[in-house]
Amino acid sequence: MSPLAFVAALFATSLVAGVAGAVLGLGGGILLIPVLTLFYGVDLRYAMGASIVSVIATSSGAAAAYLRSSLSNVRIGLFLALATVSGALVGAGLAGIVPVRALQLLLGGALGYSAFATLRQLRVELPESTEADPLALRFGLEGTYYDAPLDREVKYRATRVRRGFAAMFGAGVLSGLLGIGSGAFKVLAMDYFMRLPMKVSTATSNFMIGVTSAATAGVYFARGDIHPLLATPVAVGVLAGAALGTRLMARLRNTTVRKAFLPVLAYLAGAMILRGLGIVLP
Amino acid sequence: MSGPSAVERVVARALLWGGLLSVSLMIGGLAVYAAHGQPEARDVVRVLHNRQAGRAVDVFTSLSDVRRALGRRPPDALAIATLGLVCLLATPVAGVALASVSFWRQGDRQYAVIAAAVLTLLLASLALAGGA
Repeated sequence: MSPLAFVAALFATSLVAGVAGAVLGLGGGILLIPVLTLFYGVDLRYAMGASIVSVIATSSGAAAAYLRSSLSNVRIGLFLALATVSGALVGAGLAGIVPVRALQLLLGGALGYSAFATLRQLRVELPESTEADPLALRFGLEGTYYDAPLDREVKYRATRVRRGFAAMFGAGVLSGLLGIGSGAFKVLAMDYFMRLPMKVSTATSNFMIGVTSAATAGVYFARGDIHPLLATPVAVGVLAGAALGTRLMARLRNTTVRKAFLPVLAYLAGAMILRGLGIVLP
Repeated sequence: MSGPSAVERVVARALLWGGLLSVSLMIGGLAVYAAHGQPEARDVVRVLHNRQAGRAVDVFTSLSDVRRALGRRPPDALAIATLGLVCLLATPVAGVALASVSFWRQGDRQYAVIAAAVLTLLLASLALAGGA
């Protein structure tokens, strides 16, 4: 493959990753790392470096639009970022102490259960109004957005905040321990535990993944894992894809986003259980 | 219809302009690289450092490396692209910092402190990971 064709192929792949990331609230690493290593023969360290760049590119590209349309909630994002970032610090401190494989099996099981729970509420467009959570009231974890497919304003308020915060802390610990992104866990905690509308969950996750990945990205840069010739077309492609993804999201129903999210959750559950058993997927 | 809050507008603007600046630098760097190919002379210290560490020669590992490569005449095209990448990595952190200031200006001390705490934790994790 000529260098120009390689750059063009990278750009196209990253464009798709950006669209998926913007809609699903993920960083795109789940798609990019296997494609870069398996199809393009890129060294894993540079693929991971490009992946962390793609997380921040997705976040910057998508969150700007989601904040303007009030789909992304800054207060909820910052409140939960406290849990994920402090969890990541604890996780980094626990590395080498905690039996990682047992943890991966546990996490895989939890993700599998979450996939099952998501399957059960697949047709739920908006969560039913629930009893006000005192913490949600105290921290203003609520908002309003205009939903184009429903053609009305949707008001929402977080519930079961303690559980959501704990799940976010757990996701942060795992990020620090295993060096994985945690976009799927963030979406899950907001959708499943805090019962926020699915689109608010993925849009707010988009804001959060950039924030929580920033420190990790600095480490990757200092280690020399971010190759400019690889990361640049990835970043530009992902940014463009994220911009397209935000337009697509405006037209989607919450149920459609959840349906697209389910296979990702099932894949992550399977991959995590296999890792726990010592089988690593690309 | 309720629109975004002032804080959301400030953070959105920071993310948008950070992204646009980054993309401009990255595309500019790639375009110069495509036009001129690899630099005729690279920073010897960086190349030696990278070879010793088993890394590709064109990788940058510090801002001083990038600054030195940008100071060459003509500037290293990959250093321009790397500067764009650095801007991109710094964009969400700038967003959190601006959110803290905006919340403070609005009189929302609670969220000004939460945003500042997130920022502090981010910097702490970066410092810890860098020292590991």
